[in-house]
Amino acid sequence: MPLNNTNIVSAAQTKFGVHKGVTLREMFSEAVDKATVDAGVPKKNIQAAFIGSFIPEMLVHQGHTAPLLMDFAGMKGIPATRHEDACASGATALRAGVMAIESGMYDTVLVAGVEKMTSVSTNKATEALAAAADDQFESSMGLTFPGVFGIAAVAHMQKYGTTEEDMARVAVKAHKNATTNPLAQFQKEISLEKAMTPRYIAWPLKLFDCSPISDGAAALVLTSTEKAKQYTDLPVKITGTGQASASMNLCDRSDLTSFSASVDASRAAYEMAGLEAKDMDFAVVHDCFTIAEIIASEDIGFFKPGEGAKALRDGVTALDGDKPINPMGGLKAVGHPVGATGVKQAVVLYRELIGDAGPNQVSKHDTAIMHNFGGTGATAVVTIMRRADA
Amino acid sequence: MSEKPTVEEYLQNIQDGQFKAYKCVNCGMIIAPPSGSCYGCGSNKMEWANVTGKGKLVSFTVIHIAPDAFAEETPYYIAIIELAEGTRVSARLLGYDPLKPEEVKLGSDVKLDYEDGKTGKKYLAFRAA
Repeated sequence: MPLNNTNIVSAAQTKFGVHKGVTLREMFSEAVDKATVDAGVPKKNIQAAFIGSFIPEMLVHQGHTAPLLMDFAGMKGIPATRHEDACASGATALRAGVMAIESGMYDTVLVAGVEKMTSVSTNKATEALAAAADDQFESSMGLTFPGVFGIAAVAHMQKYGTTEEDMARVAVKAHKNATTNPLAQFQKEISLEKAMTPRYIAWPLKLFDCSPISDGAAALVLTSTEKAKQYTDLPVKITGTGQASASMNLCDRSDLTSFSASVDASRAAYEMAGLEAKDMDFAVVHDCFTIAEIIASEDIGFFKPGEGAKALRDGVTALDGDKPINPMGGLKAVGHPVGATGVKQAVVLYRELIGDAGPNQVSKHDTAIMHNFGGTGATAVVTIMRRADA
Repeated sequence: MSEKPTVEEYLQNIQDGQFKAYKCVNCGMIIAPPSGSCYGCGSNKMEWANVTGKGKLVSFTVIHIAPDAFAEETPYYIAIIELAEGTRVSARLLGYDPLKPEEVKLGSDVKLDYEDGKTGKKYLAFRAA
């Protein structure tokens, strides 16, 4: 049975990028204010908060962040919990919010995500990110995150003939879409030639195959169907949600050309929504690395295994294609403040679905899917949304 | 080697150049790196197993940008190896030029080896057979 009682009534993000002198709590507060008071949702109506944040302990030396952030945002008192599932922290917070509404325990909740990554050196940030891989069996021999996706890329190239140029095209598309997204970290087109610059990070992945290190926050308000009316005439309904886990270690996986957690979470979400991939008008997927978008486009069922690169080359996933993917620029160009990303992806779905995406508006926007995954792909969360009047 | 294996011993065995896998006492499945329960039958009873050291290259990457601890060793290969016994491990890959990854063929035969890292640690490694 599709979920029927969870509605997004407002959603917002801060600009993503390098925010010198702006702290974790200030970014959080900015996103929350935009999604609440600025959107006509009084803070006093929020009954509980679910907050995604990956590793503030290492990045800003702060644990127990949920009450701290809520206090600064003027909402102390209500239940507030942080969710940590590496890069999927935002979507697992969203899923907790969905369950809170569907259970009937609450009728109005806040879902938010935040990460402050640029106050430490790039090496320190890389070390913090590496905590999302298996420290004893993989990271300790020098496997990095780009390395994880480099291994997936080599396997995909060997099995399906995907090329480095195909991967570069993901970056070109992301940057092109982000030129008209003022909230993106990069708003500049890049040529295919530039995307192919051979500055290897983890062969075959190059600099432009990798999402950046970013600061940022995102927030949204979920309500029951009954309460939604008092805030908007055009809520977005969350009709399906799926979450799955897989081995942390790449070596424990039988297939490196697909992420089993993404496939399993997609299947669960489609089943709950009573829909199939062909019913989706567009997708927002977790393109932490360019190869990840190609694989995700196959794992969510938009294309058969091995056909993601061809669809990309043919423009099927472009902003004006039949199946747009990451129409506002993805993680690659918008930025990837880890804990904020999953919530930001939901903000993009909301804006596109209600027709509020400006120059980045996709033409068909009734139903869409978002895919957020964590670390080496050991957690995946897939969420299906539909505009309430669609 | 019949005592119950531990993760600490598994890691120490690599440091000693004496790699060993886990073996499920119930169904005989060979497992490495360690797991607390068998992927085949779910049993939690494990013992040590020696391996032939023969394997095949499943996939790989070449790390060019690494955390501080490994920076001096770049560029270096990390590979996924399928052992003849069926289990897969992550390891360093030796015997190939890290600047010519195009020449590395997936499916190639490799054999167990070790690499003395500049970090002072020994890494599990495989070398072109």
